[in-house]
Amino acid sequence: MLVVTLQRDKCIGCNYCEELCPSLFKMSKKDGKSVLLKSTDKKGFHTLWTTPEYHEAATNAKEACPVNIISVKIK
Amino acid sequence: MEKRKIELMAPAGNWESLQAAINAGADSVYFGIDQLNMRARSSINFTLDDLKEIGERCGKAGVRTYLTLNTIIYDHDLSVIKTLIDAVKENNITAIIASDQAVINYAATQGVEVHISTQLNVTNIETVKFYSHFADVMVLSRELSLIQVKKICDQIKKEDIRGPKGELIEIEIFGHGALCVAVSGKCYMSLHTQNSSANRGACVQNCRRTYTVIDKETGDELEIDNEYIMSPKDLCTADFLDQVLDAGVSVLKLEGRGRAPEYVKTVVEVYREAIDAVQDDTYTREKVQGWMDKLATVYNRGFWSGYYLGQQLGEFHNTSGSKATQKRVYIGKGVHYFPKAQVGEFKVEAQNIKVGDKIIITGPTTGVVEHEITELMVDEKPVDTAARGVNITFPIKDRIRRSDKLYKMVANEEA
Repeated sequence: MLVVTLQRDKCIGCNYCEELCPSLFKMSKKDGKSVLLKSTDKKGFHTLWTTPEYHEAATNAKEACPVNIISVKIK
Repeated sequence: MEKRKIELMAPAGNWESLQAAINAGADSVYFGIDQLNMRARSSINFTLDDLKEIGERCGKAGVRTYLTLNTIIYDHDLSVIKTLIDAVKENNITAIIASDQAVINYAATQGVEVHISTQLNVTNIETVKFYSHFADVMVLSRELSLIQVKKICDQIKKEDIRGPKGELIEIEIFGHGALCVAVSGKCYMSLHTQNSSANRGACVQNCRRTYTVIDKETGDELEIDNEYIMSPKDLCTADFLDQVLDAGVSVLKLEGRGRAPEYVKTVVEVYREAIDAVQDDTYTREKVQGWMDKLATVYNRGFWSGYYLGQQLGEFHNTSGSKATQKRVYIGKGVHYFPKAQVGEFKVEAQNIKVGDKIIITGPTTGVVEHEITELMVDEKPVDTAARGVNITFPIKDRIRRSDKLYKMVANEEA
């Protein structure tokens, strides 16, 4: 499984993750920060378990993130 | 010289700095909420829920409040901008500082006062005229000389250029703090190297590092006497503030939302005194020397006069980080205050503290208090020194709180 985590309170809303991995990330119109779609929030860490097909796109988003708040792991 | 009150505007990156600015005599403060400001990365920033208390605390102290909303704005930010500007109106925040036309336009339609950010690089009177349809105060580009600043200020009066409030446009300039190697923050270096846009408040400050210059054809390295080839010294105008104010500016802004609260306290105190001295005709060289010494105690990269005096080339600093002559060391946290006896109790959690130490206490409600330890007690017995693990008490006039932190000031050997 692919595990993606977003620590969204530190997001500066740059939009890279949505550009590079639109299947998993979308910018919130409410607060302008990134949303990891269908994730669960545990103390500010939003985690999504998904299929490995998004591995490359999610890794691109992780590497582009200027504030390093995305992690991508295969478990 | 015309005697009108010059507004001193202080940076507030957190509650400690905000309170320190109020206590030190600032006329106004500027701050950011979450991400849409030029210190999205380097300062903690406030949240939307903090606006009410900021408005109330500053309102009570008679201090004006400005929300910085001056990054570049993308489509997905537009609804956030509206939420923030509506909240500004609701919580009696004085104005917003903006650069993007979407922000300026929405605020203007909502009747929220707009100040034009230095990010818009206002450098001439026609641009002032253009933005006067939306804004009452404009921060000029940091690259102008005082002669150019004065011409713009004079022309505003001559042409009677007024803002939405019906008052003459007020001109604001930067008085003290970090300068950028690029034109007022218009830099793409951080974005190119780390996807981290300075224009979204996320500059990683590549310019503050050392670089070598190599001729790629021959492989020869150019000998340069200073490898910090892109890191300007900090702007300081305390030593020619009479000329700065004579140019006709209405607002003097201090940079430093990413700085510690004691920095804000010191810099605000110095510029408060300096502005008052210029306006009272008591501005002297002796006072200037005292102010310069005091400014050197807090974070700085060495000082220069920026571009105001017409210098052609920038001055670059030559050491890593700050040249501050002193630094703070964490000692412990606040436990209790005995108001009748005027005694504060702290728990020592690191290092040690002794009679004669210069200390500072910082906290979100306290701001910054500077003090020298004259007496020190442990278990109600006088001691000369106290180490980690014990609770200490000492007389102090200012009320201290559980949310406060205690530091001692030591000489900075690296400076």
